[in-house]
Amino acid sequence: MSIIYVLIPIAMLFVLIAVSIFFWAVKSEQFDDLDRQSVSILFDEDDIKANTNVNDSTNSHPTNSTSAELVGSDTLDDKPESKP
Amino acid sequence: MTSCFHCNEPVTTGEQYTTLIQGQQQPMCCPGCQAVSQAIMDAGLSSYYQFRSEPGQRQTALVPEQLSQYSAYDLPEVQQDFVHKQGAIDSTSLSIDGITCAACAWLIEHKLKPVAGITNVLVNSTTQRALVSWDSHIIQLSEILQIISKVGYQAAPYQVDEQEKQSKVDSRKFLLRLGLAGFATMQVMMFALALYTGYFTGLDVEFRDYFRWVSLMFAAPVVLYSAQPFYFSALRSLLSGKLNMDVSVSIAILGAYVASCVATIQGNGEVYFESVSMFTFFLLLGRYFEQSARQKASVSSSNLHKLVPLTAHLLRNGDATEIAAKQLIIGDIILVKPGEVIAADAEVVLGQSSVNEAMLTGEQMPISKHLADKVYAGTINIEQPLQVRVTALGQDQLVAEIIRLQELASNNKPAIALVADRLARYFSASILSIAAITYLVWLSISPDDAFWITLSVLVATCPCALALATPTAVTCATAIFTKLGVIPRKTGIFEKLTKIDHVVFDKTGTLTCGYLSIGEVQTFGQYSSEQVLSLAAATEQGSLHPIALAFKPFYDNKHIVEHVDHHIGLGIRACINQQQVCIGTAQFVTPDCNQVSPQALESQWIFLSIDNKLVAKIEMLDQLRIDSLATVNALKAANIKLSIASGDSSGHVEFLANKIGISDVHSGLSPQGKLALVNRLQQKANVAMFGDGINDAPVLAGANLSVAMGSGSAIAKNSADLILLGDHLSRFNDAIYVAKQAQRIIHQNLLWAFAYNMVILPLAVTGHVAPYIAAIGMSVSSLIVVSNSLRLLRIKL
Repeated sequence: MSIIYVLIPIAMLFVLIAVSIFFWAVKSEQFDDLDRQSVSILFDEDDIKANTNVNDSTNSHPTNSTSAELVGSDTLDDKPESKP
Repeated sequence: MTSCFHCNEPVTTGEQYTTLIQGQQQPMCCPGCQAVSQAIMDAGLSSYYQFRSEPGQRQTALVPEQLSQYSAYDLPEVQQDFVHKQGAIDSTSLSIDGITCAACAWLIEHKLKPVAGITNVLVNSTTQRALVSWDSHIIQLSEILQIISKVGYQAAPYQVDEQEKQSKVDSRKFLLRLGLAGFATMQVMMFALALYTGYFTGLDVEFRDYFRWVSLMFAAPVVLYSAQPFYFSALRSLLSGKLNMDVSVSIAILGAYVASCVATIQGNGEVYFESVSMFTFFLLLGRYFEQSARQKASVSSSNLHKLVPLTAHLLRNGDATEIAAKQLIIGDIILVKPGEVIAADAEVVLGQSSVNEAMLTGEQMPISKHLADKVYAGTINIEQPLQVRVTALGQDQLVAEIIRLQELASNNKPAIALVADRLARYFSASILSIAAITYLVWLSISPDDAFWITLSVLVATCPCALALATPTAVTCATAIFTKLGVIPRKTGIFEKLTKIDHVVFDKTGTLTCGYLSIGEVQTFGQYSSEQVLSLAAATEQGSLHPIALAFKPFYDNKHIVEHVDHHIGLGIRACINQQQVCIGTAQFVTPDCNQVSPQALESQWIFLSIDNKLVAKIEMLDQLRIDSLATVNALKAANIKLSIASGDSSGHVEFLANKIGISDVHSGLSPQGKLALVNRLQQKANVAMFGDGINDAPVLAGANLSVAMGSGSAIAKNSADLILLGDHLSRFNDAIYVAKQAQRIIHQNLLWAFAYNMVILPLAVTGHVAPYIAAIGMSVSSLIVVSNSLRLLRIKL
């Protein structure tokens, strides 16, 4: 029975390691996006030689978007400072 | 009916748009989806279609004006609000609309990573945001935004809620505390089991004390670190002279821990280490649920708060330079092109045009502006370029006036005392007084046991179940709300929703779609209505007037259009296929007109003439939203009174009210008028207000419960309790239903918690509760509450 004097401290050490790993994981933002990381293994990580020319034009047919959409109506996010 | 391979919407355009995906021509519903899917395939990102778990977002292809809008984000004065510079590398966080699943996040990352100049991309699909770093010498922010829009997402910098910054820090702290408490509780529980068995079978005192010491060590971080929030909250409430649940919780945790330590050191009495740890763990679980629901809400509301840079074209010596609106000074002359937002209150010095002031007033039709007329910040110029002189900035603008009114109204918003808070106060007070009485009584019976029995009263009458009752139910209900596309922005929504008995609707943009569309077409003469619409569309092509936008779907490029001539407030004259086509008011299209019957008030008619001969009249309507009628009927069925409060003063309001059966109609109201109306109603009822415009902001802030449309202005969303994404009005009825169910579950939970406490209290007072009974009772009652709340997730709507 006296073996527990050895075993329990070892168990405590394990818990300490587990807790510090958990703290490290939280602090390195691993719990911030749970939907994303769960499936990330499915995606190929090949480096894609994509056509990265920014200026290739897609055929943009104007569709029904109202002028209210074109200019965000949120003029108030940007409060000009009044000058004396 | 085939459905679009990209967004799953039904394809109504036939075989017109297809994209080659993994060797097969897949149908697309519109040029937008086609462009997006093509861009995805061209970039070699076909994995997106393989692994996505949700359909993509329906695309409306970007118009050039929208793309040029992005350039404003490159101005240094605009960037200083949201871009973080480190040497040559700029970084910012963008809110991205349209992220539906992890595949989207992967797609955006892979599209951006290979681009020259982008040093780092991190997309978070939970918060729908991307952290982007780029080298500003190689690439501009506007280009990055364009790349993102090419694969079908709309990205924009956003305004971080103060609330969100705080709640992010809080959430992380809570997770740490909760995790630690979880680990420690598991360990302590193991030793507790050994102690329980020892209690019945007789364990050597040596080992018993050893286990107690180990439990003491494991429980220490829980008491000293995990439980901190309860102590602070208890102190705060005591300092403000109130009692809350945390007072009795803190006394129980600290009391039980200290007493157990004393018992361990002296080697007698009882230890409560497992109860203390579990107690803390369960309570933290409840708090963590609450916190994460709050964080989700604050993230969504920050995401809705897009930063749209307000810029102006400053005229100096004849050239226009684009500057940020905050750099304007009074007296500057600025050029406002058609379709642009006017950057400041100003007066017209050159040109004439019409200006859409719907956001400020709720008036549907643009208002003509001539020399020396006043124009207001936030309104949109429609027809011709205008030169205006800035007359007011910042706090002196009309918009700022409305914001002040909004702040005032939100201070006078009727507060509701949440049932749970009230209960907690009474509960705490009664537990503390019962504990005190127990102590005094036992002191006279047997002084040795007095302390232990009092302690068991505090531990056994566990507020755990009570503390978990509301947050778990609210968390589940919030999850359903999120699925419905209803974003709760404030606390106490569920209680408010169930108490609503009067709903006030704004008209434009709330009950109606907020833009004009074509109703009836009457033709005179040999033209069919298709021909008429196609001609009208050709004439109106290139105008930004709401009427012109209604004709957009009918545009085809088979007509030869020349000499287009806009007449502000009257109509457009153009030469099409060598014939003179006029569209506009009756007097304008046929100067010698006598065929025109007087118009009915409820809608607008516009007229079309060819070579001065009237050929058609076309009805222009602001259509009701698809589900307005259903929503109104459902609310009526629930015995809720309804009113309309609109800034529009035309007969259209009455007409609509008749159509959907609302009898109490108030039209032509200023923002102050709306607020006064709601305040008057509030004396007799709990009022919910629906709105979308700047002019609704004050009344939204003042109503008992306010609902803003997702497409509404930022300021309206800011003062709302609920936001309806996707503008489905009927979701409000679902929200009420969910809230009622949530209330029911909360009441059941509270009832159960009380019943449990009623049973355990007499036992504890009479000294019959051993530590293991306290621990078991506590966990069982908490688990019952949590599983009862989880039933909410199975609601069928």
